[in-house]
Amino acid sequence: MIRLDNVTKTYGSEAPAVRDASFEIAKGEFIFMVGPSGSGKSTLLRLINRQEQPERGAVWVAGQNINEIAESKVPYLRRNLGNIFQDYKLLLNKTVSENVAFALEVIGRPKHVIAQQVPAVLDLVGLADKGDRFPHQLSGGEQQRVSIARAFVNRPLILLADEPTGNLDPATGEGIMRLLERINATGTTVVMATHDQRIVNMMRRRVVQLDRGVIVRDQERGVYD
Amino acid sequence: MFTRMSYALRETWVSFRRNITLTGAAVVTSAVSLLLVGSTFLIQSAFDNLLTRWKGDVELIVYVRSDADATQVDVIRGALESQPSIIDVSKLRYLNQAESYAEAEKLFAGDPGTLRLLTPENIPSQFKVVPISQDSNLIRELGEQFRNIPGVREVAYAQDVFDVVARVSQFIRVATTVMSIVLLVVAVGLIWNTVRTAMFARRREIEVMKLVGATNWFIRIPFMLEGLLQGVIGGVLSCLGLWGLNTAWSGAVADFNDTELAALVVTDGYMRFVMVILLLIGAIAGAVGSGIAASRFLDV
Repeated sequence: MIRLDNVTKTYGSEAPAVRDASFEIAKGEFIFMVGPSGSGKSTLLRLINRQEQPERGAVWVAGQNINEIAESKVPYLRRNLGNIFQDYKLLLNKTVSENVAFALEVIGRPKHVIAQQVPAVLDLVGLADKGDRFPHQLSGGEQQRVSIARAFVNRPLILLADEPTGNLDPATGEGIMRLLERINATGTTVVMATHDQRIVNMMRRRVVQLDRGVIVRDQERGVYD
Repeated sequence: MFTRMSYALRETWVSFRRNITLTGAAVVTSAVSLLLVGSTFLIQSAFDNLLTRWKGDVELIVYVRSDADATQVDVIRGALESQPSIIDVSKLRYLNQAESYAEAEKLFAGDPGTLRLLTPENIPSQFKVVPISQDSNLIRELGEQFRNIPGVREVAYAQDVFDVVARVSQFIRVATTVMSIVLLVVAVGLIWNTVRTAMFARRREIEVMKLVGATNWFIRIPFMLEGLLQGVIGGVLSCLGLWGLNTAWSGAVADFNDTELAALVVTDGYMRFVMVILLLIGAIAGAVGSGIAASRFLDV
């Protein structure tokens, strides 16, 4: 589903954020990218959704070398990728339903499809009764569920999660992980960058560890370190 | 498709209202600059009317009575051609009555009363004389000789109108052109800035849109429509202003209907043409300015 071949990415004149990284992620896998802040986890995610382009190496997503596709095709690539962030990136002037609907609206989905899929995905993330609330009326965990709903409503092949539990207390974070597990169980590949040891150790999934841009460990059913 | 259309229009409208101060500034500036562009067109056309009978370095016109016969016309022509040291015989032009009438239609565009009295039958025909000599006294002397030739109705000298008018028209033309260009650039800059502000206010939305796979055109179009709308509204306002100015001016000029000033007006047809041009310039400037801004700031 995702493959990186000897990928190197440098920002400006600094040391490479990612250096000579190679790994492959199979369809339906759940994988953690771990390491301290600045170790290159987020950059890896940004390379996979083509927010960044590598200087060297190739990134393959769903059988395509995404560094070679035209700029105009990037939006269509992104429709196969859902994104979740530590700060949720919700639109504060829209309700929960509108936030989720927005993701479908801007890729031109017809109204009746939106009307059907938004309640279904809100039900999946456990917010069926909160569609009319605004983000500031929700707890952090609930806001993250909205952002997961928005990322998943288009049924992407891959979900990229950048520190999704970073702003949440342990119990709430666990709830989010259960939700991501359920989404993974539907066949969606989940790639999650985190430095939350407790969660990685609890989940016992594949772990790729980064240290200053270099992959130092790639372990099935791994722990944090 | 329908979802997209209604999305674009809704977003355009919301953003248009949100930045009302900047939007207002952009609209007013484009209106004023377009008004100047329009005025330049009209002034140019009005002066062209006024000077139309003196086009091509004509300095002297000998008007021939409408009841003059062919022999008399030939005598006048002969007398003119016998002065090759003063006039350029090769450029001597005779306008028969039909041609003179066509010219008068322009000349008296602002004075329909006079025009109505003229017909291709009662209008004088005319000899247009281009001098070789630069000596205006010599030309005037020559002209005076023609006053007494049978069949000559009147003699007119370009110098009487031309010197002042030409200088004034040249000055106004340059001044209004320069000002309108400067203001147009300012208007495009303001539209550009409005769009940039609108995009900055919505950078979160744009970021989300890009992440969920909205195409760049989909993101760009509401902003471009916003700029287009500003340009078009500016264009409409400038048309209204120009129409008002022209009406007031034509009314004022009508009081001088027995002087040269009466030619300083434009026809309704030309007015409509200028209005269409203004709307087009407004629309293009708005769309281009905002399009460039939208592309530049799409990578927020």
